[in-house]
Amino acid sequence: MTVVERGIYRIELNRTLCKACGLCIAWCPQQVLSADAEAYPVVSRLAACVNCKACERHCPDFAIEVIPPQS
Amino acid sequence: MKLQNSFILREYLRPQVLPTTWCPGCGLGIILSAIAQAVHYRGLDKRDVAMVSGIGCTGRMSGYVDFNTLHTTHGRAPAFATGLKLARPDMSVLCVMGDGDSMSIGGNHLVHAMRRNIGLTAIVVNNAVYGLTGGQASPTTPVGGRTTTSRSGSIERPMNLETLARAAGAAFYARATVNHTAALVKLIERALAVPGFALVEVVSNCHVLYGRMNDLGDAAEMMQGMEGQTRRVNPVLLRRAALPHRLGTATSAQGHVSTEPVFDEDLRVQRGVIFEQPHRPDYARRYQTMLEGLKSKRAEAQT
Repeated sequence: MTVVERGIYRIELNRTLCKACGLCIAWCPQQVLSADAEAYPVVSRLAACVNCKACERHCPDFAIEVIPPQS
Repeated sequence: MKLQNSFILREYLRPQVLPTTWCPGCGLGIILSAIAQAVHYRGLDKRDVAMVSGIGCTGRMSGYVDFNTLHTTHGRAPAFATGLKLARPDMSVLCVMGDGDSMSIGGNHLVHAMRRNIGLTAIVVNNAVYGLTGGQASPTTPVGGRTTTSRSGSIERPMNLETLARAAGAAFYARATVNHTAALVKLIERALAVPGFALVEVVSNCHVLYGRMNDLGDAAEMMQGMEGQTRRVNPVLLRRAALPHRLGTATSAQGHVSTEPVFDEDLRVQRGVIFEQPHRPDYARRYQTMLEGLKSKRAEAQT
């Protein structure tokens, strides 16, 4: 059984590349991201992130990145 | 394992021209990412990869990648790519087209590239509409699909590219969606390894034009809809069909059986490897055989 560690990942958002399409917010299974007043994503529950990279896979603009602790 | 976005940006894209001009949430960015990852996982040097694109939203893709790129006239991407492949057979040539670009304007170029079975990797992005010009009906708009040129629903029968490719003689045909990103990367990776003409049809979303006119929701809702409208073809079954001893059917001289079209009650669109025709010789191999034949004939004449 794999133990999923939480609270060790970092999420980087690139505001210049992001177009606020909301795909990362829609695809996150842990509701880590939420939209701000301008519909841009903000990290609101970082401790819940399990590094599934669903946001990164579905980001059409290369604007989000989940960084594991070792790198 | 997904490649880090910062790595893709640094290694395979031209960051100075980003962000892309595509609408927010457009699936083309996901396809661009998948192509970069597939090239990386195949271990290809980006200097030995060429991307040829036509006109349209999809045609803009060649501007963003850091390969050798050609942005050509409307529908003529397979023609330019054929010339490039003949001049540089060592190069992996990706040919990126939209549905209107490949099947309508460039329909005959695509058919003839498939007929020659030349070693291109064609990626046909199918979003059922002409996006760049304002949402006109394209060859793949389904019956009843509302577009700006078919206000009360299209009455034309959509093009069946799968059957066309099988008849024309393409060596490999796969279908993926922008929702199933991991499969998309793997299918493009597999298509890059095919010596003949490999075609990957990618079902994409145009939520701004097609989605809005047909009440399909935003980008995320359209992508989630692809989950229910498609089904995965069992890859194990396809592999089994390639093994002649497990099937009681007649085999060709090379020992391969081309997988026949499957007709069943399930009307959902199939995704995965739809067919492979590895027994059909690709253009480079036939050209090489012809050259060798001519050389031996000349040597005989001299002795």
